[in-house]
Amino acid sequence: MQVALEPFLRAHAAQQGWGIADALSPIAPHDNPGRLYEFYRSTNEHQVENEVRNALKYNNNSRLAPKEAAAWTEIFVGYWRAIGEILRAEEASNQGRLRDRQLVDVYEAWKELTNQIVRQISNGNLPPWSLICMYHTANYLRMFAIKADEQLAKVKSNVAFSSGFQDDIVSTVARNEKLEETARILNKMFSLCLGDRNPDMGSSRKWGTYYMANLQFKTYFKLKNISLSRNIVRTIAVQTDLPPFEQFPTAHRVTYKYYVGVIAFLQEDYSKAETCLTEAWDHCLPESTRNQELILTYLIPCRLITKHNIPSQTLLSSYPHLQRIFGPLVTCIKSGDLSGFDNALAAAEDEFVKRRIYLTLERGRDIALRNLLRKVFLAGGYEELKEGQTEANRVRKTRIPLAHFATAFRMGTGGEGSGQSLEDDEVECMLANMIYKGLMKGYISREYQMVVLNKKGAFPGTGV
Amino acid sequence: MSAQGTSTSTTKAAASDNKNGEPATEQKPAAPLEEDDEFEDFPLEDWPEEESQLPGGNAHLWEESWDDDDTNEEFAVQLREELKKLQK
Repeated sequence: MQVALEPFLRAHAAQQGWGIADALSPIAPHDNPGRLYEFYRSTNEHQVENEVRNALKYNNNSRLAPKEAAAWTEIFVGYWRAIGEILRAEEASNQGRLRDRQLVDVYEAWKELTNQIVRQISNGNLPPWSLICMYHTANYLRMFAIKADEQLAKVKSNVAFSSGFQDDIVSTVARNEKLEETARILNKMFSLCLGDRNPDMGSSRKWGTYYMANLQFKTYFKLKNISLSRNIVRTIAVQTDLPPFEQFPTAHRVTYKYYVGVIAFLQEDYSKAETCLTEAWDHCLPESTRNQELILTYLIPCRLITKHNIPSQTLLSSYPHLQRIFGPLVTCIKSGDLSGFDNALAAAEDEFVKRRIYLTLERGRDIALRNLLRKVFLAGGYEELKEGQTEANRVRKTRIPLAHFATAFRMGTGGEGSGQSLEDDEVECMLANMIYKGLMKGYISREYQMVVLNKKGAFPGTGV
Repeated sequence: MSAQGTSTSTTKAAASDNKNGEPATEQKPAAPLEEDDEFEDFPLEDWPEEESQLPGGNAHLWEESWDDDDTNEEFAVQLREELKKLQK
């Protein structure tokens, strides 16, 4: 036991929170794959508490006050029990005979440990720099809860299957029991951080606020409960005594901005979403490409709406997956290819729906249409030069027959598999819509069957 | 892995060598977490502003959604042909 607690005591003496988090990790370090096993085997249920207590008491590294020593003793006993469950589950899984509720046992044991840490921190028994071990433990709790729920769902559906129930009956039973419980524990931790009244910011738990908020976001997203995520954003927004945002660690800030951005996106507040996601993008760690990809997944549809911008080839080429799903769409928007756009949207529909960006992307069709109509305008050419006019200030023809737009539209949708053909009235309606949305400036003269476009800025923001 | 600024604030410590910790116990079935849009844990807790920049910076990431007009001639010809057909 003395040996097993050596790394903890060293980290404690150096006041390194992450070292303590390592000592309480459910995963053995790469350079010592047998660590968990050795630690577990070094004692037994009857002696663990005494042995931990003694090891903490009689060591040459760190002097622990009695109250703190008692706190760590309880924590390490909880850790030892959790490791026991983890190792048993691992062994059973390797031998292919995992019991029905074995992963639930792992979760429950880890939950005990987590609660123990929360209790000791809220009682003020642990030094402030040990807060980081609470984060890590909470993060693992979330993962164990997900695994436990997966196992429970599997067991339930097996039972239901053998007793002849339908799948959808099973799914109405609480499926995420453990993760929901975890959400409540995380919420407690969040309040513990946010509500710290310690006036000394150097040792305040407030530094954990964004980290805990992020864990809650991850959990609520998994539970598909976005409104609870919004509550967190609101709670933080009204705090007046948090340290300045820029002073929090970059990892906390980038993650937070990503989630706040996605939440704004889902509420169709695209300008806020753009601001947050851009901030996350700007500060993201360059080697974390998966996270960059996630940011762009929302930033691309966002900018399409707010700025009518599309990602460049340079940008997409760095992310093969995004290239595959957005590439064709972007090409079709640019060329005003409506059938192509519809096909590209349909081709990646599953992915888009899963990411909740389908409806936003669908609005990109207006941009594709705008580009097609713009082409008709450009193809119309210029008015004859009048006296005194030069090539430089000549004007484009702004009176364009409806028939031209109708024809272009049929060309644009005439491709294979479109099956669309529009009546002239419908084309007119569509043009009216474009004018209404501000994508095209002008009016329709029904009498002459003409569209009369503005001489200046017929298609705002596109240079003509 | 380095520990940056462990002194002042409780959070300014580099993360451990926790590699986005999928618990070792349940590595058998491929984790479905990849599937959803969960933001991954960063391997570091903090990094300086200047290390956030992507190589190449933020220039040329976005472009206008409309095509520049070089293909327009072709389209104009095509459109005129279609219109001619219409008039017949």
